[in-house]
Amino acid sequence: MAHQVTSKDIPVNGEHLDGSKLARVQTITGGIAAIGGLVSILFLIFGNGTVHGSYAFSWLFALFFVLTMTFGGCFWTFLHNLSNSGWGTSVRRMMENLGFVFPFLFVFAIPFLFPGVQKYLWEWMSSYDTAVKARPNLGSSEALLRSDNAHDHLLAAKTFYLNPTFWYFRFIGFFLLLGFFIWLVRKFSIAQDTEKKPSTDNLFAARKHSSWAMIVFGVSMTFLALDWVMALDYSWFSTMFGVYVFAGSALSSMAVLILTGIFLQKYGYLKNVVTREHYHIMGKLCFAFTVFWAYVSFSQFFLIWYANITEETRYFLLRNTENWNLVSLSLVFMHFAVPFLALLRSDVKKNQKFMIGFCCYILFMHAVDVYHMIIPERGPSVGLVVDHKAQLWIGASWIGDILAFIIVGSGFIFLYLRNLTSAALYPHRDPRILESANLHN
Amino acid sequence: MSTKVRRVYGYLAEFSNASQLYKAAEKVRDAGFKKWDCYSPYPIHGLDDAMGLKRSILPYFVFFGGLTGFFTAIALAYTTQVGLYPTIVQGKPANIFTIPAFFPVMFELTILFSGFTVLFGLLALMGLPRWNHPIFASKQFARVTDDKFFIAIEARDAKFSAEGTKSLLDEIGGANIELVEDDSE
Repeated sequence: MAHQVTSKDIPVNGEHLDGSKLARVQTITGGIAAIGGLVSILFLIFGNGTVHGSYAFSWLFALFFVLTMTFGGCFWTFLHNLSNSGWGTSVRRMMENLGFVFPFLFVFAIPFLFPGVQKYLWEWMSSYDTAVKARPNLGSSEALLRSDNAHDHLLAAKTFYLNPTFWYFRFIGFFLLLGFFIWLVRKFSIAQDTEKKPSTDNLFAARKHSSWAMIVFGVSMTFLALDWVMALDYSWFSTMFGVYVFAGSALSSMAVLILTGIFLQKYGYLKNVVTREHYHIMGKLCFAFTVFWAYVSFSQFFLIWYANITEETRYFLLRNTENWNLVSLSLVFMHFAVPFLALLRSDVKKNQKFMIGFCCYILFMHAVDVYHMIIPERGPSVGLVVDHKAQLWIGASWIGDILAFIIVGSGFIFLYLRNLTSAALYPHRDPRILESANLHN
Repeated sequence: MSTKVRRVYGYLAEFSNASQLYKAAEKVRDAGFKKWDCYSPYPIHGLDDAMGLKRSILPYFVFFGGLTGFFTAIALAYTTQVGLYPTIVQGKPANIFTIPAFFPVMFELTILFSGFTVLFGLLALMGLPRWNHPIFASKQFARVTDDKFFIAIEARDAKFSAEGTKSLLDEIGGANIELVEDDSE
């Protein structure tokens, strides 16, 4: 048995990440995010043409990838509080910090509020506007039904949900509500660190408010995924889609948490409170969500494949045309089979060297997954809007994907590091911190 | 009184709480015993480490059990649905590209075979089911289901000795040390 951790091993004021060591990383990532982000946002708002439309999709891909990780951070935080878990008290602050990146990402989402970007991404908005403007004295459903474009009839039945006013309202609502709750729960946790009279009031408050927060999380995540990604093709619908996005979120965020834990320990933090046992549990959660992701994504495919209904199959038809088929197939083997077999053994999950590489791999495959959700729609959409001709792939558009990925990714790293440095690295006054430090599973 | 010669099963020592049992187990482990066991009314976290137990080999059985189920399912679905009696549903092909339809079967049989391997492998490794266990000859052992903790060191162990083992159990704080004899013929 390892040395029993006692309250003597826990610093009275908690461990704080030394900001000066990270100054360079923060300057670089912050610089890239600020300059790149500003240029990109201006380009997205004022640009025009194929490159512009193509970059709108790149931006959505990059932002949604980062969003899913922060969603996962929110989910783990709320779940941890709700279930009153003892094991993860020493890694809980990392979850809170990851989740708290979410509200700041609104900055990167601003371009989506502009019609210049919306016309490529969400064609239903253009159809809606055109139809409603053509027949201003009719209701929106009625106007769409009488539209000259036969495709608009599919939209007519969905106007209660897919109408611009409600869409903007939801857009703001997601960020305000979920942003507020993750801020609130994190605030309780941090307030406990510095209370004049140490108590568990904040802990209980965090637990209580995590209950609403969990519902807000579920609704926000699901409908944000529906609004931003599923609505790329308004004729398509899948009731599994929210769960599918959630499975990827939980998986990728757990990979981020493991990576953060390992790197923090490498630089001498969390030494007393995070052990191999924590990595074992987090590895198990990675394994579980690998399986869950496969279960959900296959179910979605399977039901649509089996039923063979025209409106539903379009999503998978497009993603199995020509080279997209390779991406779809690679998800089956590389996003499920490989991680599944690799994570079966328990000693692998406790091997930090292996997990560094493996978590990067999971994040890469998650990026491929998000790419596969969003980018296949780009050729048809941008092609139709610009040249009135659907295409499968837009040449050289991958450059924009990488560029957007680097810019938004840098923004994510900058914000995450900012959160990590802004409070103690673990809740050292949580009464369960010793239970967590001496974890055995 | 019976005069039959009985086989000695081993020594049984009683402990009054989990922490005593835990510390005693560490000492028995360090003394190098292999064939011995701890008994407790409830599971104790970390006792396997204190006893120096190695990880079970059961997971390897389960992996290959699952693999067998996986391949059985592919073979079953493929031979019946493609070879013997192709069923055309919704214009789907009846060849290897029908494989999504086989996935539920592959999944279920993998789980089923793994589950069976867990159950039967576990029973086999534990030597269960059995009619009786020699340790039940001890009267005081009944309290293991209530409020007492026990360590039993078997006579089969190479390090076992009538005096040495008894004094070891005594040293590590065992009470009511009893020589258990196999009364099951």
